[in-house]
Amino acid sequence: MRERPAWASGVSAGLYAAGCRDAVYVPDNPLSHVLAEIGERYRDVRLALATREEEAVGVAAGLYLGGRRPAVLLQSSGLGNALNAVTSLVVPYQIPMLIVVSMRGDVGEWNAAQVPMGRAVRPILDAIGIAHATIESPADAERIVALTAATAFGTRMAAACLVPRRITSAPAP
Amino acid sequence: MTRLEATRVVVSAAGEAPIVASLGHPAYDLFTAGDRPQNFYTWGSMGMASSIGLGLALAKPEARVYVVDGDGALLMNLGSLATIGLLRPPNLVLVVMDNGAYATTGGQSSPTSRGADLEAAARAMRVEAATVRVEDDLRARLIGERREPLVVVAKVSESAPTARPPLDCVFIKQRFMAAIGNPEAAAHVARRA
Repeated sequence: MRERPAWASGVSAGLYAAGCRDAVYVPDNPLSHVLAEIGERYRDVRLALATREEEAVGVAAGLYLGGRRPAVLLQSSGLGNALNAVTSLVVPYQIPMLIVVSMRGDVGEWNAAQVPMGRAVRPILDAIGIAHATIESPADAERIVALTAATAFGTRMAAACLVPRRITSAPAP
Repeated sequence: MTRLEATRVVVSAAGEAPIVASLGHPAYDLFTAGDRPQNFYTWGSMGMASSIGLGLALAKPEARVYVVDGDGALLMNLGSLATIGLLRPPNLVLVVMDNGAYATTGGQSSPTSRGADLEAAARAMRVEAATVRVEDDLRARLIGERREPLVVVAKVSESAPTARPPLDCVFIKQRFMAAIGNPEAAAHVARRA
């Protein structure tokens, strides 16, 4: 098994510990470590690729209605793509899901096109009433993801766990 | 056939199986054709009905899952066909009520009224698909064993619904989940115990 960044192992372990056995994702570079970790270590987690983040949220909503505890993995830019499904399906129907957001546009960003949405992620989540927590160090990742998921499935609301670039852009050990 | 007539065919074919309806007129017609706890009416999230149905079909492989979508709604989430073609749940049946218009918002013409072909789009994404124009053909497509997901494009005329489903989204969800065997409240209590 290849060695993975500690944050990615932590995110995967937290997601698994929270009972998520379905993860719907739209590809992102840092998240590829999480996907690989899940694929190797947590083989009973079903990974489902979506073409767009809004679709991923819709599929996750259907999984929840069917009795599963879904996670959605996306990049912060894709949160913008997902907003209509979040605000007009997930929030009013109180459909819980764990949303793991790989951040772009925060400190360490090199691409100006990523900055406006990256800066807007927290204000948008606050405005629409989605609880969120940020992973502050790789050692925190498992706990923060598990707590975010507990908030989501306990309160029956989507909750987001943000993974900043200062965590994801660190070189692998 | 009208959309309401086509929806009655879907309800009859579904038996006790879940039906997910796209917002607006498809959901209104589903309510009129037969309100039942196994109906999941969306009140927003245009385009998401097929995705919700896909997630539900993955979660409950033992149940056949029907989706009543609209042509405009599916065009808003056309990538859904690619994902259905990728994940291929054999228990998913997506019925697209194609009236060639955005009827809920005032009847503006949709691309299918000028030849956009949703059956061909589904096939291009490796999903078995058919177009039907009469009730008997629709009924014939909806029954029988299946090994692949199916898209049925039902060419319908607008039927101007007069009734609407319940407005309480959480009620719709909880009634639906209980009816399909995943009572939310019970799961919540069990986890706390």
